[in-house]
Amino acid sequence: MATLDRPQATDTLVFGEASVPALLRHTWIQTQRLLLRWVRDPITLLETLIVPCLLLLMLDIVVGSQIQKFSGHSALYGSTPMVTLVGALSGTVASGVMLGREREAGILSRFWVLPVHRASGLAARILAEGCRIFAGTVVIICFGMALGFRFRQGPLQAFAFLWIPVLFGLAFATMVTAIAVFTAKSTLVEAVALLSSLLMFFSTGFVPLAAYPKWITPVVQHQPMSVAVDTMRALAEGGPIATPLTSTIAWSLGLIIAFAIPAAYGYRRASRR
Amino acid sequence: MTALPAAGPVAPAGNWLTDLRATPATLAQWWVLTVRLIVPAIVTGEIVTAILAPITFTISFYIPLNRVMTFAGLGFSSYAQFMAPIVILQAAAFTAVSAAFRAATDAVSGLDRRFDAMPMHPLVPAAARMSANVFRLLIGLVSAVASIYYIGFRFEGGALHTAGFLALGLLIGIAFSLGADAIGTFTRSPEATTQMLVLPPLILGMLSTGLAPAHQFPHWVQFFVRNQPVSQFAEGLRALGGDRLGKSAPVTWSLMTPPLLWIAAIVAVSLFFIARQNLKRS
Repeated sequence: MATLDRPQATDTLVFGEASVPALLRHTWIQTQRLLLRWVRDPITLLETLIVPCLLLLMLDIVVGSQIQKFSGHSALYGSTPMVTLVGALSGTVASGVMLGREREAGILSRFWVLPVHRASGLAARILAEGCRIFAGTVVIICFGMALGFRFRQGPLQAFAFLWIPVLFGLAFATMVTAIAVFTAKSTLVEAVALLSSLLMFFSTGFVPLAAYPKWITPVVQHQPMSVAVDTMRALAEGGPIATPLTSTIAWSLGLIIAFAIPAAYGYRRASRR
Repeated sequence: MTALPAAGPVAPAGNWLTDLRATPATLAQWWVLTVRLIVPAIVTGEIVTAILAPITFTISFYIPLNRVMTFAGLGFSSYAQFMAPIVILQAAAFTAVSAAFRAATDAVSGLDRRFDAMPMHPLVPAAARMSANVFRLLIGLVSAVASIYYIGFRFEGGALHTAGFLALGLLIGIAFSLGADAIGTFTRSPEATTQMLVLPPLILGMLSTGLAPAHQFPHWVQFFVRNQPVSQFAEGLRALGGDRLGKSAPVTWSLMTPPLLWIAAIVAVSLFFIARQNLKRS
C-alpha cells in the first residue's frame, strides 16, 4: 500500500491563497502557462514576430524613398517605431480573443474555485503580454537595423526605446481586456483592427506631418501612436523629447486608469460565470 | 407502447425502424443556418464593421498618400480614380478575414462536429457560412463604392464596364471568402486568424500596383509587384473603371485573363479543400 511521504515544505502551500508570496508565485506560474501557450502555437508565434518585419520591409520599399526625398530624413526612424507599436497592438487583440475563449472553456472559473490568488490571473496576463511585446520589439528592431536603422543617442536612450512599445501595448491591452469581456468576439476583433489601421495611417510614422492636409494635422500630431513614434524617434535619432514623452505617458496612463477598473471587474465577472 | 398494426409505412421486422432515415431538407437547413449567421449580426450591430471598414480604408489610403503620390506623378486624372480598386480589394479581404474567423470559431467550438452528426448534407454548414459571407460582402462593396465615389472616383467606362467592375469585385470577394473559410476551418484557431486581419492584406495591398504604379518601386521588387494577384486584380478593376482623360488601359482579354484565372484558381483550390474538410467524417 502506498503511503504519503512527509510533504516537502517547499512544495506545499504554506501560505494563504490571498498572501503576497502566493500572488508572486501564482502569477509566475500563470505567466509561464500563457507564454508556453504562445510559444507552442507556431502560427501565432510567426504572426507576432515575422509579419511586422514584413510590414516594415514593405513600408521601406513602398514609401521609404519618397519620404526620404520629401523630408530629407531616413523614413526608418519613423516606420521602425510605428511597426513595433502596430505589432504590440495586433498582439493585444489576439490575447483578447484568447481571454474570451478561455472564459468560454471554463478555465477562468476553474481557477476561481481553486486556491489561487485572485489577482494572479490578471497580473499574469499583463506580464505575459509585456514579455510578448518586448520580444516582438527586439525582433523588429534587429530587422530594422538590417535595413539601416541605428541608435544614435546612446545605450540609455536605446534601453528606454525598448520600453515605450511595452507601455503603449499594455495600455491598449487594458482597453482590449475591458472590451473583450463585455462584447461579441468578432466585433471586438474587427473594431480594434480598424482602429489600429487608422492609428497607423494617420501617424507621423507613416508619412511626415507635412504630407497631411492642414485640417487633419492637429489630430495626426496628438494621437497616441504619433506621440509614441515621436518619442521613440527622439530616443533613436535625436530631437525634442520632452513633449512627446509626456504625451505618451499621459495617453498610456490615461487609458490604463480609464479601463483598469472595468477590466478587473470584467475579468472577475468572466471568472464567476 | 402496445404493438399496434403500423398505420403508415410498413415497419421493418423488429419494429426498430433501423432502415428509416431522416430525410434531410437541404434547402430549409441551409436557410436556417444562414439566418443563424445573418440575423445576430444585424441585431447586435456587428454588421456596422462591414460598412465602416471600406470607409476606413478609403481615408487611410487617400488622405496621407494623395500628396506624396500625386507629387511623384501617376499618369491618371486623379489619385482617387487610380486607387479606387485597392479599396474594393481591401473590403473583399476584410470580409474574407471575418469569414475565416467565423469558420475557425465553428471548427474549434465543436459546432462542425455537431453538424456532422446531424442528418443533413455535409456541405450545408459551409454553404450557409458562404451565403452569410456574400451578404456581408455585398454590404461592404456598396459601402466601398460609396466611399470612393465620395473622394472623386467616377465610372467612366460605360454601363457594361461598370457592371463588369462590380461583378469582378464580387467575384474576387467570393474567391477570397472561400479561401478564408478553408483556412479558418484548417487552423481551428480564431486567435491566429485575428492577426491576419490587418497586416497581410495590407502588405500585399501596398506591395501591389494598387497604390503606386509599378515603375515607382525599386527594380528588384518590380517583378513581384507587377505579377502578384492583387496587382492583376487592381489592373483589371482599374481598366473597367476607366478614366476621365482616357489614361486607363483598354479593356482587353489579355488584360482580363490573369485576374479571371487567379479567381478560378483560388476558387478551385478552396472548393477542393472545403469539400475535403467537410465530406470526411470527423
